[in-house]
Amino acid sequence: MSNTAVFAGELKGFLRFLVQELRPRGPWLTPFNIISIPTIIVGLIILYYRFTLGLGSVTNLSQQYPFGFWIGFDVMTGVALAGGAYVVCFVVYVLRLEKYHCIVKVTVLNGLLAYIFYSGALLLDLGRPWHIINPIIGNSFGYNSVLFLVSWHFLLYMTVLFVEFSPTIAEWAHWKKLQTFLSSLTLGAVIIGITLSMLHQSGVGAMFLMAKPKIHPLWYSEYIPLLYFVSSIFAGLSMIIFEGTISSKIFSNLIGPKTHHSHNEIVLGLAKGAAITMFVYYFFLAFIFMHGDKWKLIDTSWGYWYLVEVIGFVLIPCFMFASGVRNKNFGVIRVASVLTILGVILNRQNICLIAYNWNIANKYYPSWQEIVVTLMVVFVEIWVFRWIVTRMNVFSKE
Amino acid sequence: MEFYSYVNIFETKGLAYLLLMSFLVLGVLLIRYLSAPEKKDSTRTERKSVH
Repeated sequence: MSNTAVFAGELKGFLRFLVQELRPRGPWLTPFNIISIPTIIVGLIILYYRFTLGLGSVTNLSQQYPFGFWIGFDVMTGVALAGGAYVVCFVVYVLRLEKYHCIVKVTVLNGLLAYIFYSGALLLDLGRPWHIINPIIGNSFGYNSVLFLVSWHFLLYMTVLFVEFSPTIAEWAHWKKLQTFLSSLTLGAVIIGITLSMLHQSGVGAMFLMAKPKIHPLWYSEYIPLLYFVSSIFAGLSMIIFEGTISSKIFSNLIGPKTHHSHNEIVLGLAKGAAITMFVYYFFLAFIFMHGDKWKLIDTSWGYWYLVEVIGFVLIPCFMFASGVRNKNFGVIRVASVLTILGVILNRQNICLIAYNWNIANKYYPSWQEIVVTLMVVFVEIWVFRWIVTRMNVFSKE
Repeated sequence: MEFYSYVNIFETKGLAYLLLMSFLVLGVLLIRYLSAPEKKDSTRTERKSVH
């Protein structure tokens, strides 16, 4: 038999396997499906109008507000919440804390999907989405701009996350040799991934350095890149705790008994990391506040709003994490993780939307279409995540 | 003759130094609090078998 015939046979077999795997499994009428399917359909209809009639037909974006809810939530917040992937990889592959090895695959998958969907949502927000190729090919682009760095980093980091996750795909497709080869790339990919992540998490914040006159002084600081980087650490850790809690209930049949048993121990470790980084972040904010001599701004409505964010969504969850770890109270840790996620969302929305152009009369409010499309992106990501984890060996079977 | 005049702590870096010191002290306390030996779980009660 010739090589071509063997290859054709292999390809045919793989396509048959793929078709079989694409078939839906499990019940259709679940609460999540009932909510997500109509939202996705409406979102697709809105996107049709967005791409045929332009951004103005479905969004409230304007020249004063070029960054809307799609950028503010999907890109700015989504990237921060995906920070768990580089943190866990650092902990497992660099610090060699093997205890967390069983959550590496699922965390990397979450990171990969978050970057694909949330960075991919950038395409919806660009007036001319086909120009997204410009920074990659170096066409009419400022090489010194932060956006140039961020776009390259997003692209490279997505590739790196895919390389990190690729052994699982090869295992699912029964490509043994390829799996061995891809597994050998993991450590290199992890080191590159951590470097890229640290730089672009701060890079996303650095994009706001040029918007000094537009951002309220309580939120603007020359240290925004540092704050974005540090907040991405506890945002990622909180997201792992939150997702892990849901996954351990919904996909409990896919998780091995040993991993199930060690889940609480892992949550305690992650909560401890979150408490320490939030403590450091809080003091960074306090230093920046004092260094900038912002006392006069605190007794205003903006000041009270700032205190709600800093005390309600940084300091209180920090204490809750610490208390939860000390007393092994997992309920408190879960509530703290939700508060932290809400706090990171609020912080990014404050910088990007709420406290942005704070002194102009025509404020931006997202249209219902923007909110539906954002929900659509989140739901599609969850659908893809569910499809992958129910077919591939993502959760540890031990 | 020299006169002493009190400086405004808000205008100088005095407050920043105090904050830095409290950060270091509280940081140590936080680490100690988180690394302290396990508390006995009050919800778990050992049952002695009665023969």
